[in-house]
Formats: sequence, structure tokens, C-alpha cells
Amino acid sequence: MTGVHIIGVGMTRFGKHPDDDAAGLGAKALLEAISDAGIDPRLIEGAYCGHVFQGMVTGQRILAQVGMAGLPLANVENACSSGATAIREASLAIRAGEHDVVLAVGTEHLTTRFAGALTPDPSDPEAAVGATMPSVYAMRARRYMEEFGMTRRQLAAVAVKNRRHAAANPLAHFRKEITIEEVIESRPIADPLNLLDCSPVTDGSAAAILVSDRMLKRLGNGRAVRLAASTLFTGSVETEPTSMTFEPLTRKTAEAAYEKAGIGPEDVDFAEVHDCFSIAEVLRVEGLGLFPQGGYPAAVERGEADIGGRLPINPSGGLIGKGHPLGGTGVAQVVELVRQLRGEAGERQIEGARVGLAHCRGGKAVGIEGAACTVQVLVK
Amino acid sequence: MVTATDRDTAPVSFRPGEFEILPDGSGRLLGSRCRNCGAHFFPIREACSGCLGTDLETVRFSTTAKLYTFSVVRQSVPAFPVPYVLGYVDVPEGVRIMTQISGIDPEEVKIGMDLELAVEPFGTGDDGETLFGYRFRPVGTEEGK
Ligand SMILES: [Zn+2]
Repeated sequence: MTGVHIIGVGMTRFGKHPDDDAAGLGAKALLEAISDAGIDPRLIEGAYCGHVFQGMVTGQRILAQVGMAGLPLANVENACSSGATAIREASLAIRAGEHDVVLAVGTEHLTTRFAGALTPDPSDPEAAVGATMPSVYAMRARRYMEEFGMTRRQLAAVAVKNRRHAAANPLAHFRKEITIEEVIESRPIADPLNLLDCSPVTDGSAAAILVSDRMLKRLGNGRAVRLAASTLFTGSVETEPTSMTFEPLTRKTAEAAYEKAGIGPEDVDFAEVHDCFSIAEVLRVEGLGLFPQGGYPAAVERGEADIGGRLPINPSGGLIGKGHPLGGTGVAQVVELVRQLRGEAGERQIEGARVGLAHCRGGKAVGIEGAACTVQVLVK
Repeated sequence: MVTATDRDTAPVSFRPGEFEILPDGSGRLLGSRCRNCGAHFFPIREACSGCLGTDLETVRFSTTAKLYTFSVVRQSVPAFPVPYVLGYVDVPEGVRIMTQISGIDPEEVKIGMDLELAVEPFGTGDDGETLFGYRFRPVGTEEGK
């Protein structure tokens, strides 16, 4: 079976884009990815577009803007994992031998859809009793504090780190560093989470061009990065209450990715993980096996997850600092991985990074542990 | 406060397939029990996710629960005036259910508390009638507190 390589990436600035829309942002990210890959866009054979709230045929509206209609294209929705699912589908099309050059784009104009907290689908029984996304994570944070003794300051330190990383990322939503005190004193959303523990409502898009071994050889792109694994699972149904401080779904998706890539968590040099809330980063890095369970909050306090630390987490600023345009998020994580592995990450460059991992986890459905989880492993 | 028992007409459940109000005004959560392996589910399911069997019966759950974790929600959608306490409670059937917690000062809520189900006004129907839903409150708390 062929390997899969990423030869070009692009992304818009993440933030508020009142004068643009999801398709316009997608078109800009796509054009940048094509230019970065240095290929004739007519070589692209197929496309996948991840988005959540942008209406019908958003991917086709992107292709129409850049004159590339006529390709097979599928729009994919998997909540916060939508963009990552587009990457995976693109890689599957290549591995299956169907195409040699496939485009994955993710986009979201979220500021026109939401002002405050996102909520589950209204038909959901938990939405009916008042669930919001922050409150669900807040409950997990409360339980984690009870079981592992995590302090409020340790939790805030996650957001402080990601905002510090974002300050070094010209494409991030937030460029200003914050302090632990500012997190703790920011507006309460769902105890113990405050506004600065939450990822913002953001517009943005990202794109990547994936190719087969054969096409890489033909193009001779020396900056290509290998997509060693791209895994996706939905949460298993729970037949009894289980711990909310550990994520079996994240573990399962990661283990499948490690196996496919032929690596272990100890080989990962840095990771972009789904920090939709400060507590989410804690649960994810422990679920991925990158830090021992219960050990991450203290490790963050010690600077181990900083750029320059033992295992940098969310060097882009993550969702908290860079922003979280749902469909764009998973592709943007891959953009960061590619730029880091190529040594093109500027001020936030991680020295000597060879293996990067991206993790997304999206959506909520009553009775299962999580709706969709993806892990990508990129190797230089 | 309007309660389910001092009304002239039968109280209307806010989610009839999930929450039933009995003639005496008390409420029960409705779930599924697998006749093959005994697993319970909420809400009602088409098949058992434990053994994949399809021989399920609808059952009324116990009205007691233990609080697994909680949050005081301070920003929500307009349908839910803030603040309110949201929690995950474990019922004896082995099911974890998300619910609001009432009848207690938010500062007093503790993980591991024993709770019981209460029938309380929960929104307004299409014709403007009061709908009744479930919350959990500390065991022994007076209704209407
Ligand atoms: Zn069964």
C-alpha cells in the first residue's frame, strides 16, 4: 500500500472575519496550500471539506471560487473532528489507490452562528436539562480535582501556556499573553471554568494537499512530510458509568495510530491536542499516553509542556490561543505539524522535532463516551 | 411555586418518553433493561449495547442517586436562567444521568451526596401550559424549598 505525504499547507489567520464567509476563507487557505505545494492545481483529483454549521455543499462553494469544480468532493461533518476527518478521508482515498493527489480543507465562519456557549443538538436529552459544552467539561474538571488534587492554578496554567504560545503565532486569534490571576478572575462560565479557560468563537480555514508515494516521486517535493497514521473512532456505548477523568476513546484512537505509524508515545516530539477547554488538554494528553494519568497539571506548572520543554503541547497556541473554528481546527493542527517538522514555525519553532501528533475529539451523544476522535501522526 | 400535586389537571411531562409523571404526582425516569444481559440504559434504546440483543423492556428507574460530579452553570441559553447546578448522578440501576440539582445552595453541593428525584416545573409548552420535569435534590429536602 502506498504511503501518504503532505506536500503543501495553507491557513487563514484565525479570528473574527466579519467581511468574509466560510467559502471565502476556504478558498484563501486552499490557494495558499496549492502555492505552498508548488503544483499545478489541475493535478488535484479529489477533495474533502470538513465543516459543521456552514450549510449545504460548502466544499463545492470553495472549489467554485477558485475554478476547481469538476472533481469528486465530499463534505464531511464530525463536529470538532470534521477537518481531521477530511484529512483521514483524503488519506484513505490515496491508500485505496483511487487518487494520487487529494485536497483536504476545513472551514468555519463561527461568529455568524454563535455568540456564547455551544450546546448539544436540541433533541439531545442532556441539552433538554441544560447541558452546555463548557458545563460538561466543567463537571469533568471538578471530578478530576477531586480525584487527583489538581489545583485551580494548575488548571489555569494550561490556558496561560497556550496563550503564551499563541502570542508567537501570527495566525492566532489571540496574540496577548495572560496570567494565572487573569484566568481565575475572568468571567465565570461553569464552575470551575472561567472565560479564559475556554476556546473562543473563531472564524478560519486551513487546507492541505496529500499525495501518494508515486506522485511524490514524480513531483520531487523535498519539503514533504509523511502522514504515518490517521485514525478515527466513535466512542463505545457505555453499559455502566465509567470514569470521566480518563478517555478510553482517546487511548484507543491513539493506540491504533501508534501501531500504524510503528511508534510509541515516547517517540512523539510534540503534539497539537484538542484543548477546547483547559481541562480538555489535561484529559487528552493523559489519554494519548504522553503524560501519566494525574500527572499533567504538575508537569505544565514545571514548564514541561512549553516550547523548549520536554514535550511541547499545543505550540500553535491550541484551540484556547489560536482559536477553534470547528471545521478548520483539525486541518489547522496538521498545518502546524507540517510547519514545525519542516522547521518553518518561526518564533515558536521546536528544535529537532521529527514526530508530531495531532488529536481532535468532537461532539456529544448521550450514552457514548464521545462522538468522534481522530489522531494523526506526521513524521519528517 | 406550582407543584405537580396541587393542580386540577394531570401534570404534563416535559419529555414524556423519558420522564413519566404518576397519578400521585411523583415522577419516574424511563429507561430500557435488556432481558438477556440485564444492562440498563437511559434514554430508551432499540438494542442492547452490551450484548447487542433486541429483547428490551421499558422500566422505571429508582428515584435515588449519588452525585458523581457537578458544576454551577453561570452562562447558558435563554431557556435556562442562570445560575443552576448541573450534575451527573448515578442511579442504582448502573446508569449515569445528567440532571439539574435543586433544593440546595450551590456552595453546599458535594461530590458523593445522596440525592432523590423531584418533580418540578421545567419550562412552558406550546400552549403556554407549565411543563414538569425532573431535578435531583438532597434526600429529605422539602419540595418547594
Ligand atoms: Zn444485553
